[in-house]
Amino acid sequence: MGVYLDYQSAKPVDPRVLEAMLPCFHMEFGNPSSLHREGDTAAAALEDSRKTVAAWINAVDEEIIFTSGATEANNLALIGYAFRNRDKGNHIIISEIEHISIHNIARYLERNGFQVSRVPVDQYGRVSLRKLEARVTPQTILISVGYASNEIGTVQPIAEIGALAGSRNIVLHCDGVAAEGLLPIDVQRDRVDLLTLSANDIYGPKGVGALYVRKGVRLNPLLIGGGQEKGLRSGSENVPGIVGMAEAATIMSREMAVEVPRLRAYRDKLIAGIRSAVPHCFLNGHPHERLADNAHFRFQGIEGESLLLSLKQQGIAAMTGSACTAKTMEPSHTLLSIGLLHEEAHGSLEFTCGRFTKDEDIDQVLEVLPGIVERLRQLSPIYQGNEG
Amino acid sequence: MDVKPTAYSNRVMDHFQNPRNVGTLEGENVAVGKVGNPVCGDLMEIFIRVVDDRIDDIKFRTFGCGSAIATSSMITEMAKGKTLDEAMGITRQDVATELEGLPPRKMHCSNLAADALHAAIQNYRSSLGRLVQAESPSALPDVNTFAGEDAFFGKGVYYSIDDPAILKDTRVLVLDSGPASAILSQDLIKHTDRVIFLTAEGPESVRETAELLKQSGVKVLFKSQLEEIKGHEDVEKVLIHDLAENDYYDLVVDAVVIMREACAA
Repeated sequence: MGVYLDYQSAKPVDPRVLEAMLPCFHMEFGNPSSLHREGDTAAAALEDSRKTVAAWINAVDEEIIFTSGATEANNLALIGYAFRNRDKGNHIIISEIEHISIHNIARYLERNGFQVSRVPVDQYGRVSLRKLEARVTPQTILISVGYASNEIGTVQPIAEIGALAGSRNIVLHCDGVAAEGLLPIDVQRDRVDLLTLSANDIYGPKGVGALYVRKGVRLNPLLIGGGQEKGLRSGSENVPGIVGMAEAATIMSREMAVEVPRLRAYRDKLIAGIRSAVPHCFLNGHPHERLADNAHFRFQGIEGESLLLSLKQQGIAAMTGSACTAKTMEPSHTLLSIGLLHEEAHGSLEFTCGRFTKDEDIDQVLEVLPGIVERLRQLSPIYQGNEG
Repeated sequence: MDVKPTAYSNRVMDHFQNPRNVGTLEGENVAVGKVGNPVCGDLMEIFIRVVDDRIDDIKFRTFGCGSAIATSSMITEMAKGKTLDEAMGITRQDVATELEGLPPRKMHCSNLAADALHAAIQNYRSSLGRLVQAESPSALPDVNTFAGEDAFFGKGVYYSIDDPAILKDTRVLVLDSGPASAILSQDLIKHTDRVIFLTAEGPESVRETAELLKQSGVKVLFKSQLEEIKGHEDVEKVLIHDLAENDYYDLVVDAVVIMREACAA
């Protein structure tokens, strides 16, 4: 493998997680709903996993609904809550830098008669409590703000948003995917009512996630069938995936205290190294309220896809918010929300490190990146240094 | 599908990694064609020197993705030595074919090279080699107030700033109303890292001011005009009119400074 610094997009499954999952495919393969011994074994594995995931975020087991991933959990949270509680109001607030899945769900709700307000963020990507509060109306039933930005890594003041939502009797949904494994998530401390989690983001398998649903918060299901997961998510449970998610959460609870400082050191080395070696580069996101794994830059005068291609030639995997890599051909909405111009958003480059990052990976980036940026700038008609 | 729809051919990667004819041309019988816009992620400049109705030399500079760079490089090779009529006949499809194809999504957005070459030839013919500059619009648009200006006065709209520190750590848009607004921008950038100076002028006509502003870290938006100030209870966004492209876009800011008195003086 080359230098992989795109942990935000996908993470490898931890070998210990894989080992925990394997028996569930062929030895303990039963359906948890069945009454025979195989069914009992699967049901026990499922409920143990539920306890583990619940404990990890300071919830109780009956508050965890397993899903096929974070996108489904976001859909269940927003659509399920909005449709179930329509009699209480029709207004929802999201932040402008939510993940694309939240933005698209919000548009779907608008087409179905709900009103959605989008609260802006400051230049570092933090939601302003004052602006959030100004958007609350008597019709507001739900606020959705992620724990942290998956893109620029900015961490939100969730406990304060939770206190505000609570004082106004509004349910708070948090997409926890970017933050899980990097910040201690506690639904009691932060007064979160609905929380989206993904297994892959803590080195578990893809295709599994969970929605925490605070006791007393009522949702409509999106999938109708045999009534699994308390009727909120029908379909035979993905026991291997769920066991994998629980094992990943167990490892994370145990190792986070050591892992996070290590990632932070890598991140800080990248930030300091790139800043000193590359002129006209800027750090996007918050200078210190940021995820330990995230270094997000913009380079004046060059375009992100060209940067990614050049890094790829050197065996380095990274990410950009440039339009040229997006399905929509639009630059990242997150970068526009913090006030960047399109041409600045196009020049963005994101590195996210993770559990298997090594010192040499960071050194390799610092060795080749300045030359790549310089070469692309020599081609560019809009790089400042080329003028005059 | 055997390859990702975003994958590039080896030929594209070769031209991306080793672009031919990079640079600019100056002097007699030189013309330039510019197409694209940094807003949409691609900006291309192709310079030609014409001798005896043939493209004697050709150079390019490109800001853009892999295919934008590769198509620019490719077309310089294809056009060199050709007569102007022959070069006018090179199409977008010819460039794509010569590069062993482009990903479908890149056909429209990035294959601007043919357009840039044609623009250079047209500029050469219409001016016999002199660069054509668009006329600069006047400094402040001839309107009494901007949409939203009254509604947000005192809520992010300022007519003067006595103490720049009040805009600490905010995103500030300053409208060009002459030297006082440029000086204010340089003061403001000491208190926040985001100051944008909006001017209807082009980079050529305010060169010195623009240089000073850029060096101090102020972002300058040329040939642009404020259309509307928007927000919830206070200023949150402005609608900008890009005069060069006749395009409109939203920009997120927290404050707008309109120094009318300085303008009248």
